[in-house]
Amino acid sequence: MNKNLNLSQQKITQLLDRSAAQIGQPVLQRLHHARMQALARYEARSASPALAWAGAWRTRGAPQKTYFFAAAVLLVAVLLGTATYWNQAADSDTSDLDIDIAILTDDLPMDVYID
Amino acid sequence: MSLPRLFLLCIFLLCHQPALAASKPWVKLTPLQQEALAPLAKEWDAIPEEQRQPFIRLAKRYPKLTEVQKQRMNIRLQRWSKLTPEQRKQARDKFRSFSKVPIKQREQVRKMVLEDEKLTSPPPTNTAAPTDSAR
Repeated sequence: MNKNLNLSQQKITQLLDRSAAQIGQPVLQRLHHARMQALARYEARSASPALAWAGAWRTRGAPQKTYFFAAAVLLVAVLLGTATYWNQAADSDTSDLDIDIAILTDDLPMDVYID
Repeated sequence: MSLPRLFLLCIFLLCHQPALAASKPWVKLTPLQQEALAPLAKEWDAIPEEQRQPFIRLAKRYPKLTEVQKQRMNIRLQRWSKLTPEQRKQARDKFRSFSKVPIKQREQVRKMVLEDEKLTSPPPTNTAAPTDSAR
């Protein structure tokens, strides 16, 4: 056990090289094939859509400040959009208001329209 | 306050902006609103909140009016505020009906009414003042 623990990195490398040299050709071919398959899968994953990567940005250790900033920007955008929507909605829903203004400001007296 | 709560509060305030303004007493109105609704200054606080909202919306349009239109509105606003909702609805209906009359006939009626107005109203003290003498 102690002997194993005392193995230096160089010794481990030598042992692995020696073991690799003893591996038969069919096994080496299978290992090579498996390695090539793994590399192909890795390349395919690297080229996956940007959105998949973007979705994982938070889990990759992005600082909380960045998250808060993004949320604040989103909030402001939503608020501006809502404000614009409500203003436009209020303006478009103003047929009565338009008529009130017309009655109150027209050169015809108001009595024309009031019994 | 957490971000979602702040967000909901902002949405609530934006949605109820006119209602909030209508709930304000006269002294809390903006100078622009006070200028537009000056004829109602004395009775504003006595007007029920739900009836103030149309006036707040009128005040919002006030800056876009010409000087003559502003004067006419100042003269007519108090009487308009005294009308019942039903009377205002009838007035709007009449206005809509009148708007559907062919423009030539409309202009004739307009001319007749204005001439009649000139004949019946006392001579104006200020020549720049708009029609619609105090009623």
